[in-house]
Amino acid sequence: MKFFFHVGQYFYMLKKVFSKPEKHKMYIRQLFHEIDSLGVNSIWLVIIISVFIGGIMVIQFAYSMANPLYPNTLVGLGTRDTLILEFSSTMMALILAGKIGSNITSEIGTMRVTEQIDSLEIMGVNSASYLILPKIIAVVLIFPFLYIISVFFGLLGGLITGPIAGVITAADYIAGIQWLFYPYYVTFSIIKTLFFGFLVASVPAYFGYHVQGGALDVGKASTLAVVNTNVLILLFDLILTQLLLT
Amino acid sequence: MIKVKNIYKSFDGETILKNVSTQFDPGITNLIIGRSGSGKTVLVKSILGLYEIDKGEIWYGDINLTRMPEKDRKKMRSEIGMVFQGGALFDSLSVEANVRFPLDMFTNKTPKEKQERVEFCLDHVNIEPIAYKLSPSEISGGMQKRVAIARAIALNPKYLFCDEPNSGLDPETSTVIDQLIQNLTKEFNMTTIINTHDMNSVIEIGEFVLFISKGEVAWEGTNKEILHTENKKLNDFIFANKLYAQLKKEGENK
Ligand SMILES: Nc1ncnc2c1ncn2[C@@H]1O[C@H](COP(=O)(O)OP(=O)(O)OP(=O)(O)O)[C@@H](O)[C@H]1O
Ligand SMILES: [Mg+2]
Repeated sequence: MKFFFHVGQYFYMLKKVFSKPEKHKMYIRQLFHEIDSLGVNSIWLVIIISVFIGGIMVIQFAYSMANPLYPNTLVGLGTRDTLILEFSSTMMALILAGKIGSNITSEIGTMRVTEQIDSLEIMGVNSASYLILPKIIAVVLIFPFLYIISVFFGLLGGLITGPIAGVITAADYIAGIQWLFYPYYVTFSIIKTLFFGFLVASVPAYFGYHVQGGALDVGKASTLAVVNTNVLILLFDLILTQLLLT
Repeated sequence: MIKVKNIYKSFDGETILKNVSTQFDPGITNLIIGRSGSGKTVLVKSILGLYEIDKGEIWYGDINLTRMPEKDRKKMRSEIGMVFQGGALFDSLSVEANVRFPLDMFTNKTPKEKQERVEFCLDHVNIEPIAYKLSPSEISGGMQKRVAIARAIALNPKYLFCDEPNSGLDPETSTVIDQLIQNLTKEFNMTTIINTHDMNSVIEIGEFVLFISKGEVAWEGTNKEILHTENKKLNDFIFANKLYAQLKKEGENK
């Protein structure tokens, strides 16, 4: 019962979010602010994690395919496809749900419990739209870029680690990552990141917008928001993979 | 002027406001007092149109808010300023940007005109230019309240609402805030409604006092009358504070 109540309330909130804005100029200013604070600030995290995971995957693939019957190029191919299909889209979304999602819930939740949202409403501002719309647009816009950055630095991590760890030569690795490349995998993943971006912004925004109580409740809402966003990301991953890939 | 006529409001079958009628005049500070849970906040939020009332009428001048569609209510809100209990300043914006916010959102003034208005408002609440660029977390609670007042008057409202403007402030700062609200009310001839627990404020600026008990109007009058009232409920409320019990006794002995 409670589940359906929340789903209903979530869509009611979205309806308010996507209604006509009061003053475009103010929204655009917010949008640039959000792109900067939510997106640009996440780039370093994405780069660091991707470089390490790329490196780790190369070593693991190399060990599990240490059979001389397998061509060496499989290591590059495996690393590339894992990055492109799952890691840089889904895993990255799960990680960013923690960073961006909890940030969104605590910001909006704090505004709720300190009456800043009431304050907007009394002025006659559509608070849901003013606070949430720029965040959703910002995150949906930056997710595909973060995806591409993640794939690039993941592959780079493999290229650096493979030869240093002595598991594969740079030439074999580079040949591998070009072998049997399907561009559709990238298109498919970018479509996924758009959905994930929407979830990572809108679900935590929902939890923040409907906080009741004080600072402690904002903290609880952040945790709940991240957990629920993660479950939804995995659910959508399953659905989209079934729909688009098979 | 705000007129409230026989309003009722209930939540989940529980009646919170019962047949409340009163009138708040412009140019004076109107106080709503009452115990915690008596319905002060619900009354104010109903007057503001944030809660739908069950029955009755709310008039802003000769405009009937109760009959107004949501769209027109939004426009109406630009004539209303509100100071929240905690100040409710936007903590991502500087002091100056907080006051500019309603101007950015609802006017087509040039940046220079906006800046002039911001400075005018902040000057009226005695905020020095040195604090303009600070963020709300960098200024004291009393200053936050003053900035909140400056933001509330930025659009030159006809109506000013303050929910417990003194909560969390020391008595001296409270008096300063009370005086400030009263002075602004006179200067701009606003209809000001203040929700309070604070007996000091009642005595200082209670030009009109509405006493709410269990959602009903139990008494109304002025701060001069309040110390001489025979109303049992009101006396219980006032004399919870020993100091005023003393004052009343002295008044009676004279
Ligand atoms: N949104 C709501 N839903 C249900 N009940 C509510 C709601 N808002 C207030 N109430 C109830 O209405 C009653 C009056 O509350 P209100 O907040 O108006 O009191 P108050 O006089 O402002 O008290 P305080 O001085 O503590 O702020 C309380 O019993 C409260 O539980
Ligand atoms: Mg209250």
